[in-house]
Amino acid sequence: MTKRDDDGRDGARLGARPCMHASRRSLLKLGAATGVASLGAVAPIASRAAETDDTKTAHQSQPFFGVHQSGIVTPEPAAASMVAFDVLATNRGDLERLLRTLTDRISFLMVGGTVPARDPLLPAADSGLLGPVVVPDNLTVTVALGASIFDGRFGLESLRPKSLIRMTQFPNDALDDSICHGDMLIQFCANREETVIHALRDIIKNTPDLLSVRWKIDGFLPADTVRELGKETVRNLLGFKDGTANLTASDDELMNRYVWVQPGADEPPWTAGGSYQAVRIILNLVERWDRTPLNEQQQIFGRYKMSGAPLGEKHEHDIPDYADDPKGLRIPLTAHIRRANPRTPETQNSLILRRPFNFSLGANSNGQLVMGLLFVCFQSNLAAGFLAVQSRLNGEDLEEYIKPIGGGYFFALPGVPKPDRFLGDTLLAAAAEDYSASRR
Amino acid sequence: MPPDARRNRSLIALTAGAGLLGLLPTAALCADAAPVNVTVTDKGCDPNSLTVAAGKSTFAIKNSSQRALEWEILDGVMVVEERENILPGFTQELSATLSAGQYQMTCGLLNNPKGQLVVQASAASAAPGPVSAVDLAGPLAEYKLYVVREVDALVAGTQAFVAAIKANDLAKAQALYAPTRIHYERIEPVAELFSDLDKAIDSRADDYEKRESDPGFIGFHKIEKLLFIDKNTAAAQGAADRLMHDVNELHSRIQNLTIPAGKMVGGAADLIEEVAATKITGEEDRYSHTDLWDFQANVDGAQKIYTLLRPLEAKRNPDFVKRVDGNFQEVDAILAKYKTGDGYQTYDKVTESDRRAMKGPITTLAEDLSTLRGQLGLE
Repeated sequence: MTKRDDDGRDGARLGARPCMHASRRSLLKLGAATGVASLGAVAPIASRAAETDDTKTAHQSQPFFGVHQSGIVTPEPAAASMVAFDVLATNRGDLERLLRTLTDRISFLMVGGTVPARDPLLPAADSGLLGPVVVPDNLTVTVALGASIFDGRFGLESLRPKSLIRMTQFPNDALDDSICHGDMLIQFCANREETVIHALRDIIKNTPDLLSVRWKIDGFLPADTVRELGKETVRNLLGFKDGTANLTASDDELMNRYVWVQPGADEPPWTAGGSYQAVRIILNLVERWDRTPLNEQQQIFGRYKMSGAPLGEKHEHDIPDYADDPKGLRIPLTAHIRRANPRTPETQNSLILRRPFNFSLGANSNGQLVMGLLFVCFQSNLAAGFLAVQSRLNGEDLEEYIKPIGGGYFFALPGVPKPDRFLGDTLLAAAAEDYSASRR
Repeated sequence: MPPDARRNRSLIALTAGAGLLGLLPTAALCADAAPVNVTVTDKGCDPNSLTVAAGKSTFAIKNSSQRALEWEILDGVMVVEERENILPGFTQELSATLSAGQYQMTCGLLNNPKGQLVVQASAASAAPGPVSAVDLAGPLAEYKLYVVREVDALVAGTQAFVAAIKANDLAKAQALYAPTRIHYERIEPVAELFSDLDKAIDSRADDYEKRESDPGFIGFHKIEKLLFIDKNTAAAQGAADRLMHDVNELHSRIQNLTIPAGKMVGGAADLIEEVAATKITGEEDRYSHTDLWDFQANVDGAQKIYTLLRPLEAKRNPDFVKRVDGNFQEVDAILAKYKTGDGYQTYDKVTESDRRAMKGPITTLAEDLSTLRGQLGLE
């Protein structure tokens, strides 16, 4: 068991590390793996109908301006990258330049448009991988800050969102520092992987002195989620439906209660409209899982594998009746769904909005596949949300088949309500106010 | 271009420089928009004297001779522009941006007289316009000198390094490893013109399927591994002989090399890309951890090129110059922290925060220097 975990972790590290650390060979490996993922994500179906759909989805767009950032309650498209950065800026002026640059670039990329021409003797301003006209393709780029940005560098110590901490080890974790944490997390989501890569490269090119990639991991979902826009529950790589009991993201009231930090909350006021984001890179030991009897798998999750219905129920969306099953005869007390959401009044406030993707990074040196769940969730309070849920999951039977190895906790900035504003402006304004107050 | 072709070209350039300087009476004054026609016969150019305005000109060269020809515009011994392999009966065009001055044209056979090309100053060319080949002549000549000096030092250093290995003096061989390499790292973009030698001299185990145990793995890093990990000078003898041979070969090829302007200017960016891709992690000298020597050498090599071109840039793009100066200074200041009496501390001593602090200026230098060729109008 131990050996297996270690090997799995090595393999994943190869894949997940940014190219700077990776050897040429592991890059090739990663390239191959990503290729497979992208095929999965945009599976070319040789029919005219599919092409038409594709053209249609290329012009789908999500709003950039608004009280909240897009990419949080937005239905998940097929492709995603979570990219953590070290912020290279060393003073608040440069931090502001970074946030303004990000605002400029993202507001362009999410709308799309013609790429400006440049003297061909010079490197082009755009990577060109979407052609002469950038299409929005449902792109969302969501910017979140890690706890480390609230250290002394920018004078933001007193403005840290209250429950934002550096991710710490849970008992089953085997965290690898090279794929953990970061000053900033940028989440890229789009219908196609190329769109995600284009946006990432645009941002890297425009922030050479401000950002440095710390780690990156790509996620995917079935291509038809693009058209379904979250209407059907997708399966994780263990073959189970994941997200059946998720919060309904289109329900504003629920989102205000569980996802968005509210004005007047017990938080620094600048955080209103933002949300805590937890990202966890969780290896699935799939060969071993595939050698586990179906009944055992279903007991571990608490659901039927094919229908997704809770054990003892008929339909996916039936509500499990735990009160009627106090000893866990139908759904074991250790089952994943029961631990994650016991459906008691006391645990009601730990609901979270899950927004996970699958990932696949190639194979490790033992010839076992390196893949798993790129878990992402949003909540208005990290301690009451993810941390509480994960604490209940500690020791669950599923742990034998999964190994969290990376990720981090971040705070997704409030939205940019209108064009004369920029990402994080309320934070910087609060910092400036703090400073002048301290001088008075 | 294969090295042989390069040799030929520089030979032609030298011959041209020694050619006659006599002016011929008939000169046609040409507008810079329409192509300027030149016909090359078995005897020479027709017309044999041209006058164009400074700036961009297009020449239409018709080959009326019996053999394929190479038509060149020369400034002394330097080839300013050329059009290769124009077949008999064919016409090819060549565009050149020229600043005011006297040039020659080659006219077919080497013993044919050179034609004269006069470029007249115009009102437009008084302002800092596009950089001309003549503007680059000084920097190119000086850079060639720098490259030659470095490769001389590389040969001398390698001789001492190899001698220490032959004498089984491990400590001395280890001590000479880093200071010898810097001369290669400073001129790497030029050395890379000879890809066979670059691979033999400076490839890393990663470049081979079987890594360290691959028989193809030779050169500095193979010896580095034998000296710093295996601590075995006896095992390094063969690789040392081969290194000496390859370094001598590099030396002789560089003597005869005409460094293309684009290669020199692009070299500044190449060196910084080298740093950005492999130096910040400390993976280059993984056995000896002497990365900082190479790091500084790459930066020095880039800075040398930039400094030679800086006067041209300063007129055209002062903001650019200010930014690049600042970023070089930042990198140099961080590297200076790790200087010891006669070298550098090992790379593991470089703090996480300094590694991070170098990323910004290095990446910005990479972005900025990637525009240098284009700013100077070079392909």
